[in-house]
Amino acid sequence: MRRRSSLPVTFLVPTLAILLVLSMVPTLYAVVIALQSRELSTTGYSWVWFSNFADLFADRRFLNAVWVSVKWEIVTVVATMVAAIGLGVLMFEVAGPRLRNFYCLLFIIPVLLPRVSAAFVWKFAYHPLYGIATYPYRLLTGGLIFDPLSKPGTALFAVASVDVWQWGLFFAVIVLKLLETLPPQPIEAARLDHARRWQIHAYVTLPMLKAPLISLMFVKMIESLRSFDLIYVMTRGGPGVATETLDMYAFSQGFIESGKVSYASAMAVLMMIATVITFTMLWKRVQA
Amino acid sequence: MKQYRLRPGRLIAKTVLALAGFLAVFPLLWTALNALKNNVDIITRVPKVVFTPTLANISYILGRDSVLTGLCNSAVACGAAVLIGIVLGLPAAYAVARYPNRFAGDIQFFVLSLRFLPPVAVAIPLMVIWLQVGLYDSLPALIVTYSLLTISVIMWLAIPAFQGVPKEIEEAAFVDGYGAYSVFWRIALPVAARSLIGAIAFSFVLVWNEFLIALMLSSSNAKTLPIVASELSQQGMNVPWGILNASVVLLSLPPLLFLGVLSGFLNSVFRQKKS
Repeated sequence: MRRRSSLPVTFLVPTLAILLVLSMVPTLYAVVIALQSRELSTTGYSWVWFSNFADLFADRRFLNAVWVSVKWEIVTVVATMVAAIGLGVLMFEVAGPRLRNFYCLLFIIPVLLPRVSAAFVWKFAYHPLYGIATYPYRLLTGGLIFDPLSKPGTALFAVASVDVWQWGLFFAVIVLKLLETLPPQPIEAARLDHARRWQIHAYVTLPMLKAPLISLMFVKMIESLRSFDLIYVMTRGGPGVATETLDMYAFSQGFIESGKVSYASAMAVLMMIATVITFTMLWKRVQA
Repeated sequence: MKQYRLRPGRLIAKTVLALAGFLAVFPLLWTALNALKNNVDIITRVPKVVFTPTLANISYILGRDSVLTGLCNSAVACGAAVLIGIVLGLPAAYAVARYPNRFAGDIQFFVLSLRFLPPVAVAIPLMVIWLQVGLYDSLPALIVTYSLLTISVIMWLAIPAFQGVPKEIEEAAFVDGYGAYSVFWRIALPVAARSLIGAIAFSFVLVWNEFLIALMLSSSNAKTLPIVASELSQQGMNVPWGILNASVVLLSLPPLLFLGVLSGFLNSVFRQKKS
């Protein structure tokens, strides 16, 4: 009965067609623009083929942006996973059911905030003179000034801390839920063998959760690509170019500084190729 | 004896947890508190906890035309995009979940891969396209662009939700003479409703919080609330801290309304995995 129905066709085809059009038109058009010499200020353009790409690889600011993006990706993914697993295990160990529910509710709040809000909240908090997060430092040092967002060495970490605040706490909730789905027998067995608490988690529970934890990391890697709002509000890529990631640089080339839309698009196309290839390969490995 | 030895460890663990819980909400509460302060009470070297509250910031924010337009634009753009996501995403998810075919895996991967696309790579060409069509800086352009997001996210999350509906119920309905479409309408949708509402709420939060695409596709008429809020901070050295804090609170409230729905959704996802 199910087999002969027209339902799959009428339900699937329009949606997939619309998704295909909505995604393929911009991506193909991004490639077209990248091969031209469009600028915001003028309407005329010519085909310059690959010269935008050649320029990119000679552009030291672009290479810096690549490096900053890679650093951002590594710092946020690693810190998020460490915070999530640490807090998740702690909740599993010492919190009763009601306390767990309470913490879960608290830990979901940051991730629901718009990135713009989260960025503002912490931009105030990091303010060298009036910020609440820098207050303990002022108190302890008798009024010395610490400005994490305007030092090249700390700016990236200060912005990354906001990302971890949002995602690390949220993932801690997921790690807890994953631990709760495990069967109790292996844990009991390890306990009978006099394993310590941390040994039980390091050698029994976390290895059992390897597959979902890797999927979780995969999700975080994708979400970490969306760093633009945080960086745009908190540092605008500064100080200097210390926090200028690829999307920030593409945006400022295309819209703030010079209006070189084609140059920006060439950058976006390179990003797109790199991420699609990396994540497709990772996804196939995760699924296998 | 062993219990006794473990105590200090447990105490430290509980302290760390309490600290994390404090860290999760305190910055936001502090912002809300600042929204009720006069500027003099915010710009102090020692944070002030006791102050005479004022509603001036909040009434200033709610009285600004730009903020109200931003609020309207956000509501219309997100509402319409989520509606399109529901109408197109849910049926497609049901078809993938219940009518297995050889492309099911590819379809799921395609839907997920839309999330890999860097937002800049989508926003730049779309800006040029909308400029050429004459729809740049208009709500329809924003709605169409956001639909790509909502359809794919709702579809991705609704597939497991529909798979969680017990097959027996649907089979029984077929036996009773229901057609394929009425099984979807009268059985699958109501039974999966709880998880589906979670998926829909999630997609709403996602587009409400969206920034980069809105920034690139609007210049004056179609600005959404996040853009308006971010512009308030760019008024030189004389930052109106209280007003800024109030706008952050206003911007954050709608997603927080879904806190209950979304944490329930999370619970139901993991309860399914357990069984």
